[in-house]
Amino acid sequence: MTGVIAASELRKRFPAKGGAVEAVRGVSLEVARGEIFGFLGPNGAGKTTTLRMLTTLLPIDGGTATVAGLDVRRQPGQVRGHIGYVSQLGGADELATGRENLVLQGRLYGGSRAAVASRVATVLSLLDLTGFADRRVRTYSGGQRRRLDVALGIVHQPEVLFLDEPSTGLDPQNRANLWNHIRALREQGTTVFLTTHYLDEADVLCDRIMIIDHGTVVAEGTPRELKQQVAGDAIVLVLRDPAAAGQAAAVLRDQPVVRELSAEGATVRLYASDGAAALPGLLRLLDAAGLAVRSLGLAEPSLDDVFLRQTGRSLRDAGQPTAAGQPAGADSVGAVA
Amino acid sequence: MKPVTDAGLLFRRYLTQLLRNPAFLVIGFATPILYLALFTPLLRHLAGPPGLPSGHVLDLFLPGILALLAYASGAGPGFSTVFDLRAGVFERLRVTPASRFAILIGPILASMLLMFVFDLVLVLAGWGFGFGVHPVGLLLLGLLLALLMATTAAFSITVALLSGQINGVAAVINGLNLPVLLLGGVLLPIALGPAWLRALAHIDPLYYTVAAARVLAAGTLAGGAVWQAFAVLVPLCAAVLYWATTVVRKAVA
Repeated sequence: MTGVIAASELRKRFPAKGGAVEAVRGVSLEVARGEIFGFLGPNGAGKTTTLRMLTTLLPIDGGTATVAGLDVRRQPGQVRGHIGYVSQLGGADELATGRENLVLQGRLYGGSRAAVASRVATVLSLLDLTGFADRRVRTYSGGQRRRLDVALGIVHQPEVLFLDEPSTGLDPQNRANLWNHIRALREQGTTVFLTTHYLDEADVLCDRIMIIDHGTVVAEGTPRELKQQVAGDAIVLVLRDPAAAGQAAAVLRDQPVVRELSAEGATVRLYASDGAAALPGLLRLLDAAGLAVRSLGLAEPSLDDVFLRQTGRSLRDAGQPTAAGQPAGADSVGAVA
Repeated sequence: MKPVTDAGLLFRRYLTQLLRNPAFLVIGFATPILYLALFTPLLRHLAGPPGLPSGHVLDLFLPGILALLAYASGAGPGFSTVFDLRAGVFERLRVTPASRFAILIGPILASMLLMFVFDLVLVLAGWGFGFGVHPVGLLLLGLLLALLMATTAAFSITVALLSGQINGVAAVINGLNLPVLLLGGVLLPIALGPAWLRALAHIDPLYYTVAAARVLAAGTLAGGAVWQAFAVLVPLCAAVLYWATTVVRKAVA
């Protein structure tokens, strides 16, 4: 198959003190039409650099890339006509109104005055911006601002929309809202390529994910496939005390359904390929050994478990914001560099 | 023609931004008027009473102020380029199929239009104080000022793209400000200086502009200084615009 985005062995190095830094070291990827494709990795992993190469903003040092069937290196001008790009900064004119921004953008893509005017009206309503379309962008809230950025990226109906860290700095409600808008774009046939360092964003929003670290691809697949690569579901058992937890660990460790097991304090954490099916049997064993379970939890592995397994580091340990359902760190609203 | 349409669109965007920035308009109008109001009396004394009537002092000084304004107007697009870089606007424009030359020239032409409005105000004010107005001379002068302004603007935009910082642009523009103005003979005629200073002045594009401006303001069209100015500024402007377009094409910001 040839995807709407195809890249092979992409490389980029930047000059730095004490020699060049290889930001991207041979990234190959393929994105199918109509997919939401996520590029997940910690800051500095090479996500934005790859994105900027694919969007003609950065010269490609090595490898090849095609977008919408066009060679990014040799036909950058044509590629630009087929893609939309929303940078981390957005890039709307603060002194202009939302509508003025969109009209200029549409006209720069070559649309006629009338065609652009009607398309802008459509895009404004698509992203719930109609109510303040004629206010200056300076007065917009964070969520409104971000939706305008996305609107700027799609005003010319691109085949592929590139989003760099689309939800950074948004509160949970605005993030969920933005995700719905991105899904709506997919329904209309737009291919979406996004970078994120949010685990939940990659998990919930993306059809397929590529995990990247230090400029190389460490894993690729649907969120479900990736998580299944990890040892299955996580089961967390809390016992009366550490001694009981130690006994429980000894009882459970050799069970065939248990793949990995660790005990810490009164808690035993283990992985089983099908947690829900394995749980009753494991509880019976503990009961037979006279060990009472105070509480238990069953959780699917997160993408962070995938990252941990592939790189030996946790995405969160790199000071990253946390996944859904867990309290976000104080630094989760990252400064836009 | 897509480059022309694009340049028109970006011209309008930049002009709208300028007009929505009242501080810019007030300072833009006030600075040349202040120069005129505060410096002319000083010159009048230097010219030595009962010597020159006021008309002659202005004939010497006003062309210099017009050249100064052209130089200063060129700095504006450089500063806004830094803001556009910071806000991601520049990158957004660069990822559209908009003509790279249009991205560069649109803002330059918008600033130029405003410069001509300020010029007009100055000339009319000077006229009231005895500045001799020669329409054809002024027209040629306008052309020279446009060339000088476009050169400075393309240069400041390029500095902005290469440094990416307000400080970078400010350092270069302010650092060049004094030598360029003095050597250009904007405030006092460079002819008053020693031979080495007069020789050094020849590396300053402003020098040719000011010299030509004084000839043109006097109503003489055929002066050698006028052709010399065009001979210096036309290729210089073309070269700087070419360099700037190349940088816009490759800019990594």
